[in-house]
Parts: sequence; structure tokens; C-alpha cells
Amino acid sequence: MLVSYKWLQDFLELNKDPYQLGEKITRTGVEVADVKHPQEGLKKLVVGHILDCTPVEGTHLNVTHVDVGDEEPHQIVCGAPNVAAGEDVIVALPGARIADNIKIKKGKLRGYESNGMICGLQEIGFADSVVPEKYVDGIFLFPTDADLHPGQEVFELLGMDDYIFDFDITPNRADTLSMEGAAYEVGAIIDEPVKVEDVALKADGPDWTDQLKVQVDSKLAPKFYLRKIKNVKIGDSPLWMQARLWNAGIRPINNVVDVTNYVMLLTGQPLHTYDARAFESGQLVVRKATAGEKLTLLNDHEVDLDPNDIVITNGDQPVMMAGVMGGLNSEIKEDTTDVILEAAIFDPTLVRKAALRHANRTEASSRYEKGVNYDATMRALNMAALLLRNDADGTIAEGIITGSDKKQESVTVRTTVSYINKVLGTEISSSEMLNIYKRLNFNVEVAGKDLVVDIPARRWDISIPADLVEEVGRLYGYDNIKSTQPVLPETRGGYSQTEDVIRRIKSVVQGQGLIEAISYSLTSSEKAVTYTKTPQPLVKVQMPLNSSRSTLRQNLLTGLIDAAAYNMARKQNQLTLYEQGRVYDFAGDTYNEHEHLAALYSGNVYWDNWQHENEQIDFYFVKGQLANLLLAIGIDLNQVEYKAETISGMHPTRTAGIYIKGHYVGLIGMISHEITNVNKAMNGNEIYGYELNLDEIIPLIINPKTISKAAPKFPAVDRDLSVLIDQEVTNQEIEDLIKANSGKYLIKLRVIDTYQGSHIAQGKKSIAYRLTFLNRKDTLTDEVVTKAMTAITDCLQDKLKAEIR
Amino acid sequence: MDLFDRLNKLREKGLAEIAKVKNEQTLNEVRVKLVGRKSELTEILHSMKDVDPDKRRDIGKQVNKVRDLFNHNLDNVKTEIAKELAEKQLEKERIDVTLPGRATHVGSKHPINIILDDLEKYFIGMGYQVVQGPEIETDHYCFEMMNLPKDHPARDMQETFYIDTEDLLRSQTSGDQARVLEKFDFSKGPLKMVGPGKVYRRDDDDATHSHQFMQMEGLVVDKNITMGDLKGTLEMMTKHVFGQDRKTRLRPSYFPFTEPSVEMDVSCFNCDGKGCAICKYTGWIEVLGAGMVHPNVLENAGIDSKIYGGFAFGVGLDRFAILKYGIDDIRDFYTNDVRFLEQFSKEER
Repeated sequence: MLVSYKWLQDFLELNKDPYQLGEKITRTGVEVADVKHPQEGLKKLVVGHILDCTPVEGTHLNVTHVDVGDEEPHQIVCGAPNVAAGEDVIVALPGARIADNIKIKKGKLRGYESNGMICGLQEIGFADSVVPEKYVDGIFLFPTDADLHPGQEVFELLGMDDYIFDFDITPNRADTLSMEGAAYEVGAIIDEPVKVEDVALKADGPDWTDQLKVQVDSKLAPKFYLRKIKNVKIGDSPLWMQARLWNAGIRPINNVVDVTNYVMLLTGQPLHTYDARAFESGQLVVRKATAGEKLTLLNDHEVDLDPNDIVITNGDQPVMMAGVMGGLNSEIKEDTTDVILEAAIFDPTLVRKAALRHANRTEASSRYEKGVNYDATMRALNMAALLLRNDADGTIAEGIITGSDKKQESVTVRTTVSYINKVLGTEISSSEMLNIYKRLNFNVEVAGKDLVVDIPARRWDISIPADLVEEVGRLYGYDNIKSTQPVLPETRGGYSQTEDVIRRIKSVVQGQGLIEAISYSLTSSEKAVTYTKTPQPLVKVQMPLNSSRSTLRQNLLTGLIDAAAYNMARKQNQLTLYEQGRVYDFAGDTYNEHEHLAALYSGNVYWDNWQHENEQIDFYFVKGQLANLLLAIGIDLNQVEYKAETISGMHPTRTAGIYIKGHYVGLIGMISHEITNVNKAMNGNEIYGYELNLDEIIPLIINPKTISKAAPKFPAVDRDLSVLIDQEVTNQEIEDLIKANSGKYLIKLRVIDTYQGSHIAQGKKSIAYRLTFLNRKDTLTDEVVTKAMTAITDCLQDKLKAEIR
Repeated sequence: MDLFDRLNKLREKGLAEIAKVKNEQTLNEVRVKLVGRKSELTEILHSMKDVDPDKRRDIGKQVNKVRDLFNHNLDNVKTEIAKELAEKQLEKERIDVTLPGRATHVGSKHPINIILDDLEKYFIGMGYQVVQGPEIETDHYCFEMMNLPKDHPARDMQETFYIDTEDLLRSQTSGDQARVLEKFDFSKGPLKMVGPGKVYRRDDDDATHSHQFMQMEGLVVDKNITMGDLKGTLEMMTKHVFGQDRKTRLRPSYFPFTEPSVEMDVSCFNCDGKGCAICKYTGWIEVLGAGMVHPNVLENAGIDSKIYGGFAFGVGLDRFAILKYGIDDIRDFYTNDVRFLEQFSKEER
């Protein structure tokens, strides 16, 4: 809502600096996003009277002589199509500043001297959207009846000497979507009484109430009043009214439509005028639209009406989308003589949804959706009728047709001074509080300790004591409330145990050089279950923004692979990324969220370097990093098992499921060629990653207890063991056997070499292990170690047909 | 020749020879020649039997002196040579310490999480528990319990991602308030919590809108919590994040779950309140919304609003990060360009 400072002066004594007032309103009532002074930066703009106007042959230009109040008229060359002798216009004199800080100088055009410029409204800073249609492509012509003289500054005439506050209104303060409401608010803030005039109307035409049969569903329109104004003469509104409209951001149209907009700005009550010819049927019905009905609106858009749109019909066809916009078939035209004037209240939700549905939010609909003042409807109707008589020479027909007239119960709220002080943390006296309510024009009765406050209908946002606390708090001034800290018994702050572990995990992987990413939880249905061992029922949103953001992810890798594609397309092939976040599914007929961790690696271990020492990231590098992570968070690596598995999106022969104590906890592997090959940027890159379900892992490691052991006093003994074995046998199987048969002193088992190739038989491979034995209590004898080794080799030969080398 | 003369000559010659030695091999040859078993010195010693016994002692003394001198000088030369060798070796080992090391990516935290961690730590220090709730939330907790009426615009299908008629992707973390309030046992002390997490709104992604972002909710409830407490708490927090020299102001605002409701602005840290493009020439930057918990929210959770009251606040973590780091496109947080993310490694605390 754009609120005019000068218009406010109609209601209250106001002489504060507008900018300071804006700041005060912001801190006390409604955020003032901006204070504009339209004439700011402009100068030497005066009224000129065009004495003569001669076309320059072969051009669109005219040479004019303009009386600007000087002794001699100025010769000015003007290219506007509507320049003509006898008109009063805006002249920028030499030395003037117009919009965009442009300076006007004397000049020559086609050999003709031009001492100034005749201006259109846009040239002096008006927005296109508020300039009257007929002046959009030309210069502005003052109305012939305007009270002005050549040489007079134009600013006051055009309302440009005003200060315009941009009220950024929260939904509860729709009462300030009117000048009267704004005046009450500003009056309360600066402690000045507000005068709002009542309307006394005497009709001067015959009764019309039997001319129209009106049928209104009061659920759709709780209030619905009509008047008829006859014999209007369509023309321009007086300049002062046009100025108030354009300062409020509304384009002047004609003296009928302008009146409805003006009264809406004044009272907050949207109004509508119909050409009476639209109701020649003698009927007016307010109802919901039926499927298939169409209506062409005033903006020339034909809309397919929805069964939840409210429409006004003439009994036969819709003539208006109620609360949103009129129909072209009932529009006020040049030749309109009789006008039906409507002041009504429509259901806020239905109006809001209609405006949203048809993408057509209007000044009227935005007011209806936030609620309007039930006390203003009748007053607005009569005020508009009076103005139509005044501005358009109409005759007001006797009588009002009332289609519906729901009354609103008056609201009274009880509270106490001590409650208000307790919530605010203040010590405001009761007299000070009573004064604040007086400033707001609320009637208060003091009943013992209670304050009984009558809430006027214009403040429909107030209904409970807490609302009254807010009124006192803001008018007392939030700046005046002392800042304190809550005085409370001590509480222990902290994270949940789970969150603590997650933070530990994140710090480890960050230490490993991984960069944290955050991806969107919503992805495509396909990606939601790629890289997922056991896809669960999907969770989809009902109205996705697009199909690539339709389904909640069941894995994090998909987001990291999207990130890899994005980065690789920008030549960033050296990637180490991780994400910690949730995945979502609908398993077991309920919505589930699980904390996951995923990492993605691609490129080399190091950046390219002058030593040419590098190592391409491969499965085993990533597996080593993962093992370090697990070790760092307290997982016994002996309990971790990797099983080759086939999982969608993952390389079928380079992927493993990860199991801890037999439970599946995640996967590790290379991203499949199918995924990387189809993406030009990713093609040829080997991308590795792992993903862990932290919900499975965290319970295993909450509260890890380390009981310290002294460093060993006796030396450990290393023995190497080289095994020639069938290719199909996995390292895991060999290790399992070694561990199971090694006796009690084996503390470490490492693979130190593998070989497969021409030096050994086909179908065979060789693996070498280093076994470390330690007896914490005594020196290990050769005999004991040899015995253990023999047990191991016997078993390997026996169970796996291994050949010991 | 007199043995003394011979000895003197030998001494001069020997010392000259030692002085000429340049390497270990000649050193050994010279050593054998001068002090070895077949050296002239030994010879002199052996020929002493022909000498007058009176002089024999003197000569013996002299011979030993010369041998000691030879040995001493030979040792010196040996040390010299070893030192030279070592120096040569070290020179061979010299590297250019200014050449770069082998580098890897430096790990880093996401900028939004840097802001979040900092705020969490701040509030934990003040005795707040960090509580997290579900992102798939019910209409009941997200809206109904938070005093948003059925026809509230936020409950439109156009605004919020509904999964079915009752379940949705939460559009605010406020649902965590309702969940905690419902279960909280005030006999064990006051409630102080912050609840961070992801939220979702049906906005098309552009430079200033994101369909997914991060919020943090704060809630303090007990018997005597005042708006002054809210003001003090918010002032300290915003100064912690944006600088101790910032000014703040509270403005009336509106949220269904608080009454009174306020928004807090901080004086623009770019222009210090003079007005610039960042603060849209107002001198102020809006940073958060807050208010006193609406009585309906307490009553909905079964808490007597005549006895208990409190304050709540919500901060947009994306917004904090945008302001703090001067980021001009919210999508930068979610495209995960490593060149964007990496710059925050130094912010890690």
C-alpha cells in the first residue's frame, strides 16, 4: 500500500519530517520499505500554454510557441503526436532536470531553435503503469478546467510535492490497506486524534429497488449492497483525484472507475461499477461458477471459470469474477449512462484461490483475501455514489438493494495491566496503558484489575489478550523495552548422542580432505533408487516443480554424482566430495528418514606435481580411506566384511556391499560405465564412492570405551607367507582361514603382494601375506611361531588346495 | 749423519708430506711411510743401539715427539678430509625448499553448516539443547499445532510440498517446537532448545529463492520469560554473528505462532547504516523473525498458557551465510561447485 503524506493530512494534524516519520512507523506499526518524494531531483518544470503549433514538413516534429509566464513565449520543437495549440502542458525550461538526472539545454532541431522541452509524464519520473492510457505515448495535457497559470511549477498540480510511504503490510495488518486505516495507525503512533468523516446522502432520483431481482448466497458474499447512478457523463476525473490515484500506484481511467478505486483506497472496501445495460435481464445472481463457463475479463483475458470461483451473473451469464476483476461484457464504456454500483464482501479464501488460480491478483482481491472492515461497506457505497454525482454528473436513484447483510459480532477482550507487563518485562503504569488504547481509539473500561477493551471492527486482527500485549508493546516502543537475559535454573546444553557421533564422523572425513556438499533431497524417481541395494517404496510429492525434483532420495550418492557431472563439465576432474544428510522411504507403511554418509572420489590422489609422483584414485585407495574412517570412529575392522555385489548404478565387478557383524551397512565401489558414459563430461573418468547408513553404524559405536594397554615389552615376530591358489578364491576366504588357525598370538595380517600372470600357471594367482605374532607376556620362541605357521599352511593346503611357495 | 740431524730432516720432510695429503688413500700411504713399522722413524729407533747411551734417551724422546707430531697432524688431516667429504655429500643432497609440495584437496565444511555449527556452539554454551525433528512432517505438527488455520496460504498445495493429505515436507522447523512442547516435563526445569534442519517450499529456484533451505528454530519456555529476555537474547546472538559493533532494531511483524511478533534488523555491515545496495538504501538488514509464543501453541501442546510462556525465534541459515559471506546467488549452495565450496576451508572452526 502506497500511503500519501498529504492525503494523511486530511485526517490528522501532521507536520513531522516524512523520513523520520517513516522510520517511526517502521519501528512501531508497519514496515515502511521506502519513502519517495516524486519531485526529488527535478527542477524547472513549469506549466506552459501552447500558443501555436506548426508542423515541420517531412518530419513528425512541430514548432510551437509556448507561454511559460515569461515576457516572451519560448519556441520549443516537440515530436509528440498529441501536441496542439491551446493545450496546457508540462515544460522543462532550459537548465531543467528531468527523470534519470537528465539536464535540458537550449538546442537546435532541424534548424529550429528549441528553448526547452514539452514533457510526457514518464519523462518526469512516472511509471508507465500509472500514466493515463491516452498520455502513454505522448505528452501530458492538463485538463481544461484545471486551476493553473503558465509558469507555475507543476509539482503541486501533479501531486509530486507529496511524500509516498511504501507500507509493507503483514497479513494481520490489512486494516492499513486504506487511507483511513493508515491514518488511525499513524495517529496512534504520533498521538494525534484522527477525524474520519461520515457520509450523509440524499438521493435525487426515483426509487430503483424493484428494477433488479437480486439473489445472493450469503456464504459466498456475507455483505452485498447495490446502488444505481443514472445519467453519468463519462470523462476524466478531476486532476487532484488522478494525482492521488497515481501516487497510490493506480492508473486513472475515467470518472466512474476512478471513483471506485479512490473510495477503495480511502476506506479499504473494494467497489465495482457495472454498466446497467448488463442487467437488462432484470436479474443479478451471486453464485459459484459452473464447469465450462467462460468469462472475458477487463484485461481481455478469456478465462475458463472453476466451480470454486464466485461469479456475479445477470441470471444468464457471468459478468464478473467476484472480488477479482469485472467482465468485459459489463464494462463502463464511453457511452455508458446508467451505472450499477456494488459494495460487497466476498469469502476471503475463495477470492484468494481464484486470484491464484487465474494468476490475476488485483488491488481488490488482495484486500478481500486479508479481510475487510465490515463497518466500511455501507459507507463506501454511499461515498462512491456521492462522488459519482459530483464528478460524473450522475443522479443517485433512491434506495439500496441489499443482497445479503451479515452482521459481525463486536469483540471485547479482557486483560490486566500486570499480565501485559509480565509478558513484556516492563513496568508500564495503568494510566500509560489506558493512554495507549486511547491513542488507538479503543474504548477501555476498567473493571477492578481487569481492562475490558472494545475492539473496533476495523481491527479484526485483535481477539485475545496477547494481541493487546502487542498493541501496548509496540506503541510503548520496542526500543524502550530493556534487554535482559532469561533468569532460569541452569540447564545442560548439548547435542544428542547420535548428533555427537555424526559430528565426529564429519570431522574425520574432512580431515581426509573431503569437501562437504549439500544436495537437494528431491530428485527424480529413477535417481532416488539408483546406487541403492534394496529400493524401498518411494516417497513422492504431489505437485512437484518438475520431474527431476519429484521424489525423495533413498541415497546420497546420486546428489554427489550430479555434483561430479557439474564439476567435470567445468574441467574440475579432481574431486573429493562428501555429503552427510538424510534419505527417505516409505518402508513398512510408514515414512522413514535415515542419516547417511556418502563420499565421492575421482582423479588422482595428489594434484599434478613437478615430481610426476602420483597415484590414480582406485577402489583400494577409497577402501583404505573408508577403513581409516571406521577405525577412527571405533569400529573393529575384523568385524567388517566386504562382499562383491551387483547394485544398480555401480560397476558390476568393482562393487562391494559392506557388512558389520553380518548387517548390511552400505556400499563401496566404482560408478558404472552406463552412468559415466552417457555424460560427455564424465565419460572416461573413473568415479569411486561409498555410502554408509549411519543409523546402522551409530548404535555400534555410541560411548566407545578405551581401556588402555601398555606398549608391548616383548618384540613381535614377522613371518611372510606366499600362497599359490585358484583365481576364484578371494582374499577374504584366505584371511578367514589364516585367522581361524593361527593360534592366539597373531595380532596383524597384511597382504604384501599379489601376482597373476605369465610366471605362474593359468587360472592361478599368488598372494603374499605378512603375519605379525606377539606374546604380550613372554618372548615368542621360534618353535611356537613355527607351530602356528604350520597349522595355517596345513589348513590352506587342505581346505583351499593352496600351494605354499 | 748425526741422528738428530736426520730426525730433524725427517720431521721437516714428513710434515711437508702430510700437509700435501688431499685424500684418504694418500693419507694412509703417508701414515704407513711416516709412522708404520717400516718407517724411517722406526729405522732411527732401531739404529739407536749404535748411539752413545747418554744420547740414547734424548733421541728416544725426540723420536716419540716426532711420531706424536706426525700422528697429530695425520689425524687433523683425516678430520679435514672427512669434513670435506661430508660437505660434498650434503651439497649433493641439497634441495630447493621453495619448490611446491605434493598437495591434495583440503577438506572443508559447507558454508551453511559453518554458520549452523557456530550458532549451535553459541547456544549450547548458553544451556540450549540441540533437537532435530523429521523433515517429512504432518500437517498437524507443521501447521495445526502451530496455530496456522486451515485456509492459511502456507497450507496451499501451491506453497508447500504435500505428499498426501496429511503428510508434507516441512516448510518450517517450527513443528519441532510442537513436538518438544508436547512431551516436555517442566518439573525437570525450563525448556531451552534450538532446532536446526532442512525445510522445503514450493518456490522455483532462482537467485533469491530455493525450494530447499536451512532454518534454525529457537524456543525458551518457563514461567517468567519476557519480551525483554527475547530482545536481549537476539541482540547478543546477532552481534555474535555479525559483529559486536552492530546496532539492532525490532520491528512489529506477524507470525501465526507468536504474539507479539517481531522481526530484527541489524545495521548494515557494508555501509554501517549510511545506505547502500546491500541494505536497499535503508541502512538496515532484516535477519530474523521472533516473538512471544502464541498462547494457542502452548494450549495445543497441553501447556497452561496462563502459567507458562516463552519466546521463539527462527533464523534462515542460508540467509545468514549469504549476508556473512556476500554470496549473491542462493543456488551456489546446492550446485556444489568445488571452486565455490573450497574457499570456505579456512572458515573451519
